[in-house]
Amino acid sequence: MTSEPSTRPRTALEAAAVLARWALGALFIYMGLKKALHPEEFLKLTRQYEMVHSPFLLNSIAAGLPWFEAFCGALLLTGIAVRGTALTLVGVLVPFTWLVWRRALALQTLRAIPFCAVKFDCGCGAGEVFICHKLAENSILILVSCWLLSGAGRRWCARHAIFSRRNGD
Amino acid sequence: MKSEIRTIVVEAAIVAIVGAGLALAANELSPRGLTLSRDYFPKGTNAIPAAAKPVQVADSPAATNESSEADQLSGRLRDKGLQEVKRSQVDVFFHDPRAQDGRIVFVDARDEDHYQEGHIPGAYELDPYHPEKKLETVLPLCEAAEEVVVYCTGGDCEDSDTAALLLRDAGVPGRKLFVYGGGFEDWEANHLPVETGARNSGVLNSTHP
Repeated sequence: MTSEPSTRPRTALEAAAVLARWALGALFIYMGLKKALHPEEFLKLTRQYEMVHSPFLLNSIAAGLPWFEAFCGALLLTGIAVRGTALTLVGVLVPFTWLVWRRALALQTLRAIPFCAVKFDCGCGAGEVFICHKLAENSILILVSCWLLSGAGRRWCARHAIFSRRNGD
Repeated sequence: MKSEIRTIVVEAAIVAIVGAGLALAANELSPRGLTLSRDYFPKGTNAIPAAAKPVQVADSPAATNESSEADQLSGRLRDKGLQEVKRSQVDVFFHDPRAQDGRIVFVDARDEDHYQEGHIPGAYELDPYHPEKKLETVLPLCEAAEEVVVYCTGGDCEDSDTAALLLRDAGVPGRKLFVYGGGFEDWEANHLPVETGARNSGVLNSTHP
């Protein structure tokens, strides 16, 4: 019944990965729904990045992204297509972090203040935040996603991989 | 290994496609959803109405040295063909007897929650992101008025611009429309009267220290 001493660290690590998956999933659901409830606020915040100039594209991003985040969060929480979802999140988080960093640089120049003193609402769902805190937070989210992408957090998954024959494969 | 990577990439693509489809469907079903085809930030024209007399009154000698933010605000409104009005002039409009009989109308371009928390007494609510709720009521009043002052939170807030352009596009002559750039934050900061709840609720909060 008891685990072999050599397998204990691995078990603890796997438990930590499952907790990280749940935490990441819950965070994305919370942030996504918070933005989805006030889409026009998120639209205004999305506009500040000047990513696209077409109103249709801007509206589509602002309308879809919050629900998309909540969807990815639900997949992680229930443990469905975990590695594919983690890769998708990395694909969203990396360019978004770059956009936030670029916007912070522009604000730093405009306000003539130190980089870490730049504070603004990046549209992440947490209101105004200091840029260095935000970049650190996003780095952690990217690292956790990469960890899940590597195959960690397989326990208590409804279907860890869509194409596997057995759960957990 | 190679096939494993390919499997993960395919899985990610499925998640992305299904997620995007469901997200857009959720937006359509949500009562708060965005209308994808609408331009929420109309640029307007850069023509200030010819008959309009610019109302840009400095609030104090110190204010004559406009900050870069104030310059940006003025430039932004000018680019949209809108007239800016400063707080001192808004205060004059507010105490003008014409404000009592509807010849001067105040329009609050913030959302309902912010409006309920506090607004300029007698101001009408017009959230430009959900104009269908109030435009029918506010538009005839603005058309009949001699002057219309539109405001939002102030600072970077462009909702007052959007609401003013919405009114102008709906038929309110541009010469009547004024945007109070300082917005509600500026109004409150100067301890001017604030009404909470519904319009003409009679609940006035004095912000005097």
